[in-house]
Amino acid sequence: MWTTHPYSKTRAQNLIIAGLLAILGVLGLVSLSLGAYQIPFSQLLGAILDGLGVQGVAAESQQVNVLLQIRLPRIVFATLIGGGLGVAGASLQGMFRNPLVEPGLIGVSSGSALFAVIYLVLIAGSTGLWKTMSAFGLPLFAFAGGLIHVAAVYRLSRSQGKTETSTLILAGVAINALAGALIGLTLFYADDAALRSFTFWSLGDLGGASWTKVPTALLLILIPSLFLLRDYRALNALALGEHEAFHMGVNVKQIKIKLLITTALIVGVGVSLAGMIGFIGLIVPHLIRIGFGADHRLVLPGAFLLGAILMNVADLIARLIVIPAEMPIGVVTALIGAPFFIWLIFNLNKPKR
Amino acid sequence: MLQASRIHFCIQKRPVVDRISLTLQAGEILAVLGPNGAGKSTLFKILSGEISCKHGDVDYNGLPVGNLNSKKLAEIRAVMPQHSAVNFPFSAQEVVELGLFSTQSKNPAKLVEEVMEATHTLHLKNSNFQHLSGGEKQRVQLARVLVQIWEQKPFPRYLLLDEPTSSLDIAQQHGVLSILRQLTQRNIGVLIILHELNLAAQYADRIALLKNGMITSCGPVQEVLQEKTLHQVFDYPIQILQHPHHGGLIVSTSKPSFQKQLIKQA
Repeated sequence: MWTTHPYSKTRAQNLIIAGLLAILGVLGLVSLSLGAYQIPFSQLLGAILDGLGVQGVAAESQQVNVLLQIRLPRIVFATLIGGGLGVAGASLQGMFRNPLVEPGLIGVSSGSALFAVIYLVLIAGSTGLWKTMSAFGLPLFAFAGGLIHVAAVYRLSRSQGKTETSTLILAGVAINALAGALIGLTLFYADDAALRSFTFWSLGDLGGASWTKVPTALLLILIPSLFLLRDYRALNALALGEHEAFHMGVNVKQIKIKLLITTALIVGVGVSLAGMIGFIGLIVPHLIRIGFGADHRLVLPGAFLLGAILMNVADLIARLIVIPAEMPIGVVTALIGAPFFIWLIFNLNKPKR
Repeated sequence: MLQASRIHFCIQKRPVVDRISLTLQAGEILAVLGPNGAGKSTLFKILSGEISCKHGDVDYNGLPVGNLNSKKLAEIRAVMPQHSAVNFPFSAQEVVELGLFSTQSKNPAKLVEEVMEATHTLHLKNSNFQHLSGGEKQRVQLARVLVQIWEQKPFPRYLLLDEPTSSLDIAQQHGVLSILRQLTQRNIGVLIILHELNLAAQYADRIALLKNGMITSCGPVQEVLQEKTLHQVFDYPIQILQHPHHGGLIVSTSKPSFQKQLIKQA
């Protein structure tokens, strides 16, 4: 680690963030050009320039359409949802003081999915007040479901001011099972045409991305995520324990409520837009910590950017391996994430050097 | 002045802290001693504001602890609990820097370095905190707590420590207590829970003896350290001796019969 001087440390952290941003940018370009409909790189540039209004570079309108109406919103979605899951995972791990916490594992995602399904089946078709706020009804319902679940798990897993890992994971398992069953039950009674499939909710899908949904994602995922970044000092203090954080001057109760609401919002909205996509929120904060240390000043933005990168990579894989069909993205993230989770469990129990 | 008056705290209807009144003046070291289960740690948590107590009052400089928010409280007092675990791979320096949270230091880098040097932890600054030894962790935590109140302030402040020397070797124990002694000159009052009676005898201004949730005796070191009182409090024969060279008090806990056995074996 490079903690020789605080200023050089800050500079190193900024460099890492810039590096991750650059990787994300390059990945976005690659992702634009690859897919069921291949667009060579030269033509891709042409289409982008054309889109920006630069004259003289001819691009076929079909290509421009694929790029701007299908691929670009999808990349924006992957970036926002993946980033949101990353930063939410990092915040929850910090708040629970537990490296095994993940929005999917502890039931935030399934709670959101359950409420989203309930909304779609029972409320979306009805008229009146709900109809007028249809654009935000689904994400807000998903947020409420996530919030109820994360608050419940938090209460269940705590005894005497400490979070018990085993209780936490078990509470997550129980809540996930219950929510999964209730999702299945609700969908069973739904009329098929109105709803997307069970696979969408349980394994996620970025195929629904469109520009009309991007404002929702920007407003309810990106802004809360930026909001979380400012709490890095409180999260650092919480790493020592809630009492210690209180002694150091942190308003522990306030920060906990803020973190719970913000993470539930980010995850809930993400789920309402793209279903449950697991493991991003678990792996990403760890990779940042292993690579660059535990300071949340870097872990939070780093987790957002790396989450966005991983989500784009997973989406690219999901789009490319079974052309012209698509693999559900949750299959890809679970194939990467589950082995990592197992590795993590083994390494956490190993005695420290 | 940190003042507790008639604080009373029960756990499952059993009084753990039984109508205790206590004062801590800025500029003094008050050592709290007592056997296991005497209620020291509960008293400590009530004084620090961690537990709110229904009966009785705790005032910092005349303000009730319940009326002070965590930020204001952190400017007036720093707390070092017995155990603090860190679950993430922070470096020792990052842990110490956490103490800056409530300070408005103009030169935080210098402040951190100064405190780490005083606590002999500067050489550990880049090490992973989780990989340090017990004593090193304790010194790093102490440095973290000291950062919070190291810089001079125009009002009296307080430092509460729960067994800060439990994992330290003899030299480090004395090192820590000397730092605390110096702090008293910065208008800081120190309350310290100790198990080592000799450290209390040597460094404290006053001693409070606690048993069964009550203060059995509280006052200047010479007054409180009486063989009879200590015997009653700790249920163990204790001798008070004069040091042959400097005349200070030495607390001895050796049993005569045991010593005879040792001599026979030799």
